[in-house]
Amino acid sequence: MENTKAPEKFIVAIGPQHPALKEPGHFEFTVDGEIVTNATARLGFVHRGMEKGTEDRNYVQDLYLMERVCGICSHVHAMAFALGVEKLAGVQAPPRAQAIRELIGELERIHSHLLWLGVAAHEGGFDTLFMYTWRDRETVMELLEILTGNRVNYSANVIGGVKIDVNKDQKDALKYGMDFLEERTKHYMKVVTEDETFLGRTRNIGLMTKEQAELLGAVGPTARASGVERDVRVDSPYAGYDMFPVKLVTEPAGDLEARFVVRINELYESYRLVRKIVSKLPDGELTVKVPRRIPEGETISRVEAPRGELFYFMRSNGTDKPDRIKVRTPSLCNWASVLTLAVGHKLADMPMILAGIDPCFSCNDRMVTINRGNDTQVWSWEDLRKYGIAYYK
Amino acid sequence: MANLMEKLKTWARVNSPWAIHFNSGSCNGCDIEILATLTPRYDVERFGIKLQGSPRHADVLICTGPVSLQARDRLVRIYEQMPEPKFVIAVGSCGISGGVFQGCYNVVGDISEVIPVNVYVPGCPPRPEAIIYGVVQLLKSLQE
Amino acid sequence: MPTTKKIKVTSADILANAHKALQPWTLSETTPEENRLDITVDASNIKNCVQALMDVKWGYLSAITALDRAEFETAEGTTERTPVKGKGNLEILYHFCSGPVVTTLRVALDYQKAEIDTICDIIPSATLYEREAAELLGIDFKGTPNTEHLLLPDDWPTGVYPLRKTFTGLSKKQKLGNKEK
Repeated sequence: MENTKAPEKFIVAIGPQHPALKEPGHFEFTVDGEIVTNATARLGFVHRGMEKGTEDRNYVQDLYLMERVCGICSHVHAMAFALGVEKLAGVQAPPRAQAIRELIGELERIHSHLLWLGVAAHEGGFDTLFMYTWRDRETVMELLEILTGNRVNYSANVIGGVKIDVNKDQKDALKYGMDFLEERTKHYMKVVTEDETFLGRTRNIGLMTKEQAELLGAVGPTARASGVERDVRVDSPYAGYDMFPVKLVTEPAGDLEARFVVRINELYESYRLVRKIVSKLPDGELTVKVPRRIPEGETISRVEAPRGELFYFMRSNGTDKPDRIKVRTPSLCNWASVLTLAVGHKLADMPMILAGIDPCFSCNDRMVTINRGNDTQVWSWEDLRKYGIAYYK
Repeated sequence: MANLMEKLKTWARVNSPWAIHFNSGSCNGCDIEILATLTPRYDVERFGIKLQGSPRHADVLICTGPVSLQARDRLVRIYEQMPEPKFVIAVGSCGISGGVFQGCYNVVGDISEVIPVNVYVPGCPPRPEAIIYGVVQLLKSLQE
Repeated sequence: MPTTKKIKVTSADILANAHKALQPWTLSETTPEENRLDITVDASNIKNCVQALMDVKWGYLSAITALDRAEFETAEGTTERTPVKGKGNLEILYHFCSGPVVTTLRVALDYQKAEIDTICDIIPSATLYEREAAELLGIDFKGTPNTEHLLLPDDWPTGVYPLRKTFTGLSKKQKLGNKEK
């Protein structure tokens, strides 16, 4: 594949797919020279029809379904769902269960942030960092496996509580793991805030002001990196966050560097929380009884996924199957904000800016449509990524 | 002469297949375990298998997901662009029956409804070791 | 480093602010759960309501839920429920969040005339939510900047709204693109 730069037109030989085939562009950028003037998204490769699917399955089956909205943050989905059903049923899971929910939630946040750190580094061409973070991430995958029996899709939740407990050996493993990861994380913070090449691609790039973040409804670390004090664990504590509160982490700068720094600082907070929960886990039962048929009602369940606020609206009708489950994932909020934000930025910055919101990367094979004057090209994501790296060489 | 060429081709394929990965609508659980096989701990590349981006150079297609209707035609196109002989490994329960999504309105389910499949690796998601085992099973079957 | 005096705002205050801002257009109001306020308004007033909340900087738009409030009848001797023709309606819920409080604007719409003004000129990021509700439940957001499918495939049959209770799925042939394998 060759890139030849002409003064007005950018000619790119298209990758594997033939240009004549109409490829549904995942993202579409319109550019004027180097600057993006419009950006839209077309999601749908991962649309499965789950919300409708919940209506044909009972609540217990739906718990297993909702876990698989996203493989990276399956626990928060199951937790949001279980908490919602418990509210509709008028019951509360016991404290030990809520604390274990929080524990797994924070371990999931650690694995997700480390995964993202590697992927975002890869987008910028820093593949060594990708290898290191994914190797270190294996530590937390192992811990999750020791606790729940699975590396991905831990399935710790049941409606009414949790189905796993934590014993002394597991507690020791957790403490040891957190110490190891904290030490490694200090190194990542150094790279992200001091490495010249890295800063060249992140400092003052992708700026989103506090006002923009608030108006566009950005959530999660993306919003907090613009100084917005928004975190569901702090604003509206759920599960164990009353007993083990989290400190709000924000950065004022609003650029890509801030988005890296916020997530690394959140890692430190998660390590602290895991240690705290392990040392002060309350005694008691793991589940509470929940009726099979859930009384009629509506509830809203909000939790803080690694990517931001996860919103569940749930409607029950007195049977053992829900009437409507609406899931608004944090990535949808952040897509909306970043697409508006992309306007005015350079095309070469798009891979890092899009990676900066920590999107749930559905296809590695995402396609990008570039509109330039009367000329439309289809690039693969890989092409866009390499374009960004080459631009900054 | 033709027989010798066949033997050489099989040898080359068995010892160093080039693979392409495609997500047909999965939740990413399987994809991150496939990515994990590339990392130092599992290091699938020591078996000679190389993950790269073009269907035109691929011997093996590693496919995850329950084939969403949007991804369906794309999957067929990628399969058609692969040169013969070509093989497909379906990773994850979704590719077998649709997994938990069976019956949902926007998925086909079984990948073999859309393209032929040689190896299924069950699991939700399967561990990296299981994925590597699936790949090795395919390589062994090529030797026969 | 400048210090700002932090005034402790209670959720009761936050709820009161929402109630006050939306008073002129409130048809009815309930508090279904702690920290939740549901306000029913008429479709013609949606822009006024959203603008009112934005004017007092009341939180952010978190989600838009579209519902099919069909009425069901159960076939005798079974648990099979089917939607009754001519009964029921659609409903859109605009969820705004501020701290622990969620204020939901509820708008009822007829199946036959499911239209409402877009709010994208006030909140540009609402476009993704409006696109989703439009394709899944068949609601027409007048003036919305983008009406392309967000989630459904390009070859999805027109006029078929999967989240309506009357939709029961596609045939296998349709799912395979109406091609024989």
